[in-house]
Amino acid sequence: MIENYSVPSSVAEAAQLLQQGDATIVAGGTDLTPQTEAGARTFASHLVNIQRIEEMRGISTSDGRFRIGGLTTVTEILESKILAEEIPVLVEAADHFASPQIRNAATLAGNLCNASPAGDMCIPLLLLDAEVELASWVDGSVAIRSVPLAEFFTGPGKTVLQAGELLVAVEFRQPAKGFTASFQKSGPRPALEISTVSMGLAAVLQDGLLTGVRIAIGAVAPTPLRATATESTLEGRALDENMISSAVQSVQQEVSPIDDVRASAWYRKHLTGVYIRRALSHVAGN
Amino acid sequence: MSSIELKTGEKKSGGINKVFSKKTVIGTRVTKPDAPDKATGKTIYINDMVLPRMLYGKILHTDRVHARIISIDTSAAKALPGVHVVLTGEDIPLLKFGTMRDNVPLKAGKVRCIRDEVAAVAAETEQIAAEAIALIKVEYEDLPAVFSPTEALQEGAPVVQEDHPDNRSLAYKFSHGDVAAAEADSDIVLEHEFVVPYVTHCCMGPGCAIADFDSAGKLTIYSQTQYPYNYKMDLAPAIGIHPGDIRVIQPPVGGAFGSKLDVYPFEPICALLSKASGRPVKLTFSREEEFINSPTRQPAEFKIKSGVNKDGTLTFRSVDCLMNNGAYTSWGPTTPIIQMRTFTGHFRVPAVEYNGLAAYTNSVYAGSFRGYGNVQATYVTASVMDMLAEEVGMDPIAFRLKNAQDPGEVTPQGSKLDDCKLKECIEIAAQKTDFLSKHETYAGLCKQPGRIKRGIGIATSIHNAGGAKIHKSDGCGSILKLDDYARATLITGASEIGQGIDAVLTQIVMDELGIPKADVTIVNNDTALGPWDVGVHASRTTFVAGNAALQAARAARKQILDAASKQSNVSAEEMDLRQGHVVQADNGVSIVKLDKLLRQMHFADEPELVMVSEYFEPDSELEDRNHVGNLSATWAHGAYVAEVEVDTETGEVKVTKITAVQDVGRVINRLGIEGQMEGGISVSLGYALSEELLIQDGKVLNPNFRDYKVPTAPETPEIELHFVESDCKASPLGSKGIAELPAIIPAPAIANAVYNAIGIRFFAPPLTPEKVARAIHGATTQ
Ligand SMILES: Cc1cc2nc3c(=O)[nH]c(=O)nc-3n(C[C@H](O)[C@H](O)[C@H](O)COP(=O)(O)OP(=O)(O)OC[C@H]3O[C@@H](n4cnc5c(N)ncnc54)[C@H](O)[C@@H]3O)c2cc1C
Repeated sequence: MIENYSVPSSVAEAAQLLQQGDATIVAGGTDLTPQTEAGARTFASHLVNIQRIEEMRGISTSDGRFRIGGLTTVTEILESKILAEEIPVLVEAADHFASPQIRNAATLAGNLCNASPAGDMCIPLLLLDAEVELASWVDGSVAIRSVPLAEFFTGPGKTVLQAGELLVAVEFRQPAKGFTASFQKSGPRPALEISTVSMGLAAVLQDGLLTGVRIAIGAVAPTPLRATATESTLEGRALDENMISSAVQSVQQEVSPIDDVRASAWYRKHLTGVYIRRALSHVAGN
Repeated sequence: MSSIELKTGEKKSGGINKVFSKKTVIGTRVTKPDAPDKATGKTIYINDMVLPRMLYGKILHTDRVHARIISIDTSAAKALPGVHVVLTGEDIPLLKFGTMRDNVPLKAGKVRCIRDEVAAVAAETEQIAAEAIALIKVEYEDLPAVFSPTEALQEGAPVVQEDHPDNRSLAYKFSHGDVAAAEADSDIVLEHEFVVPYVTHCCMGPGCAIADFDSAGKLTIYSQTQYPYNYKMDLAPAIGIHPGDIRVIQPPVGGAFGSKLDVYPFEPICALLSKASGRPVKLTFSREEEFINSPTRQPAEFKIKSGVNKDGTLTFRSVDCLMNNGAYTSWGPTTPIIQMRTFTGHFRVPAVEYNGLAAYTNSVYAGSFRGYGNVQATYVTASVMDMLAEEVGMDPIAFRLKNAQDPGEVTPQGSKLDDCKLKECIEIAAQKTDFLSKHETYAGLCKQPGRIKRGIGIATSIHNAGGAKIHKSDGCGSILKLDDYARATLITGASEIGQGIDAVLTQIVMDELGIPKADVTIVNNDTALGPWDVGVHASRTTFVAGNAALQAARAARKQILDAASKQSNVSAEEMDLRQGHVVQADNGVSIVKLDKLLRQMHFADEPELVMVSEYFEPDSELEDRNHVGNLSATWAHGAYVAEVEVDTETGEVKVTKITAVQDVGRVINRLGIEGQMEGGISVSLGYALSEELLIQDGKVLNPNFRDYKVPTAPETPEIELHFVESDCKASPLGSKGIAELPAIIPAPAIANAVYNAIGIRFFAPPLTPEKVARAIHGATTQ
């Protein structure tokens, strides 16, 4: 039951409030509200609304690094000119995300901290080797630690976030020259669809050989999955039909999907194969 | 007699005669009178209503599918501050209600399905009501359960309803001609099995009722019902009062689509809570409760055997329909009444038989849903027609044309196809879509390599279009009055549930009385005021209520013109009503302003009010015991073509276009008919591709919009509509009922198009991506 409600306006203020314990953070509320309404989780006694922390908004670059504030909405990502130019795969994922109404409210931090295996923004950020910046109040000041996104998720709805920690921003390096990436998502409807399977694949194709291969897959494992085994089998190989076939085989072994009301494990595996084929053809085409 | 003199050609102040040309609004696009308030959020829906002193009701639904109730402990709930009443089945008399009188509001002794209501509370707030519900403790002893109708009919199956130890609910039998002989004589006989799923209405406004007993024991119920007059009759036994003591008020509702054509337990429970508390009580479902507890479309298993001769002539059709009745009987298992008409009478089939049976199970129960059994029948027949055509080597168009009836034919069940437009619909659909050449091309490409396959498919059906006489009366009453300012009020029995009848009735009154839209008010939300009507169903409202309104408007018009004639020495036949004036029909010159005339009539020595009441009963028949009779005053056909793209890798089916050709009699509100057709197509698109209420061992697995997939705007295809128009003789208005065929025909057209694209037939909709992918890849990839 909520007994206190706060609206901090800085990371420092938020971190102090959170340090007092037994708090629930709310950003856009698009995960939190349906989950509490359905009884899937309950509020802590202190509800901390972080929406007014201006320093957690916006997209910036400096020294070849991109920084996206945790409160940046999916709409802002979708409409970002710099991302469209430099990191189109993020915009693609935002475009597949929910509906305009939800995108207007949904934040990047909320998507990551909710830690759904089907969270759409996780996929392109995994391709980018992104790191998340976590803030907490330690000994009278804000302490920051950075965690690679690939290590952030620990299970469905679970992350390495400690009590009292706040996800402030996401950072990643400007990808290498020749980097191409794609995002694919399935579901019977084009809008308002929780991914049956989503897949991102990024690589640099040089002289017919693939390098820097990154594969991230949603909804096929307890967390958004980096398919590292498949990545290494593809690394440095020539992009041909042979390689595509082995990629399909490898990735289908690497995923561990479940049967649920949205799809069977068989179908999720099948789609994984279809998508890796398409993703590699996309890289080949670029 | 009035002493006021009227002169022909009343002068304006400037001395110029006003002239009004004849303008009809019939067939034009008229916005719904309720649209501006709905679009701007002003409308107070039933779900928004609050009455003074109102309490909030909530129901404890069981979490078992079949169990004996050992005990219910309500003491903690009763002790919670703010709780006024807690009721269980033990606190109320036995109140049986429903189609088979097999349901009661609160269950005592036993629960039979996941919907069962075991207790209810009324409290000061919704939150207290929810807390109280959580405090009720029920102890159960689980009983063996049965979920499949086939198993339910086996010897020794668990008995669901003690009064029906063989688990048999409603049964239907119809036979015409010698089916066995026809089968023996047929060149080709095919047998198929189809399974159709549970789907649900997804009304935007979840279930809601507000009940208010007065001190004299009379009940006013604010209800979402779409059949208010029969509702009183059906609700009364569930509360234990006289139907005459019920007044039904119908505030605006967020959709119905057939789901509000019965009484469901929450409604009498709400009334019983009001009776026990002496307060108005409101009971509203959450979205999850709505998914679990509101009726579904009737699921069924079909076995169909069909015969055809080499020349393409249909010889016989034999259909077995097994329905999952669920634990109680609502309207779902009555849908064979309409379903049978399609199996037996769609296309000329000389020998036909139909056997329908509903078996009690511990699953949820179905109600009525737009299309009323014909959605299922048309999915089956339209798929079979394509298979038969292929078998005899004919194209889908020629094969259908060969077996289509001509005007004047009567079907084996006695449906009189006086003005049958089936051939016309098929021909137009084929021609507008370039069907034959596309069909041939796509079929040729079907086995070629390629990721995306295109396909085109046609389906047709027939539906009652002049009401459906399932009750002793299928009529509707109308009361029309004009005030001193020439403002008209039409009080009609017909309900507005969003389908747009208010616009249609407004147009009819405008047209007959020559008054503007803003001067017409429709009143239809109170059974204490309104005259009888059977309800919004069977595509009947524009047909029946429209003709009742037309009759009333014509009677008022006659009274007005007679009065004008007496005063003006112009005969009534030579006058017309246009734009608020009585005019000379030939030249449109104003004789008198209508409001002025009405005041003259009213304030005369022998005063007259224009206030008429009329009743329209369509010319239709009840079925006899053998299911024969012209159930509807007129029938209509439609032919729909679907064009699809199938992604053969993911199994995703994209419908790119629906072309709908339908016999509509006459278009009244063009905007309304377009809306009805587009909305219906969307319902059918969901049935074809994505919608299914997943029920496993009696429990609903996907009671939310995340996992129950209704179509959304982006996958709505391009829609092209063609109305086949000709004045329908059975309808003075000329129009036919139109609203259900769009929800019926597209799904099998889509399935036929998918077959054209990939050569795979689907006998169990919906064609989800996974189902299609499995059909294409299942064997090799799994
Ligand atoms: C109709 C609908 C459609 C949807 N479609 C999609 C979709 O297509 N793809 C998709 O990926 N998701 C989808 N979602 C899920 C949801 O919208 C996203 O996950 C969204 O990004 C969550 O962000 P939010 O700001 O609303 O998070 P909130 O609901 O506010 O928070 C989510 C969780 O993260 C925590 N949290 C939030 N911010 C922080 C922070 N800065 N630091 C630490 N913890 C934090 C909260 O405490 C909570 O546990 C959908 C949801 C709905 C209701």
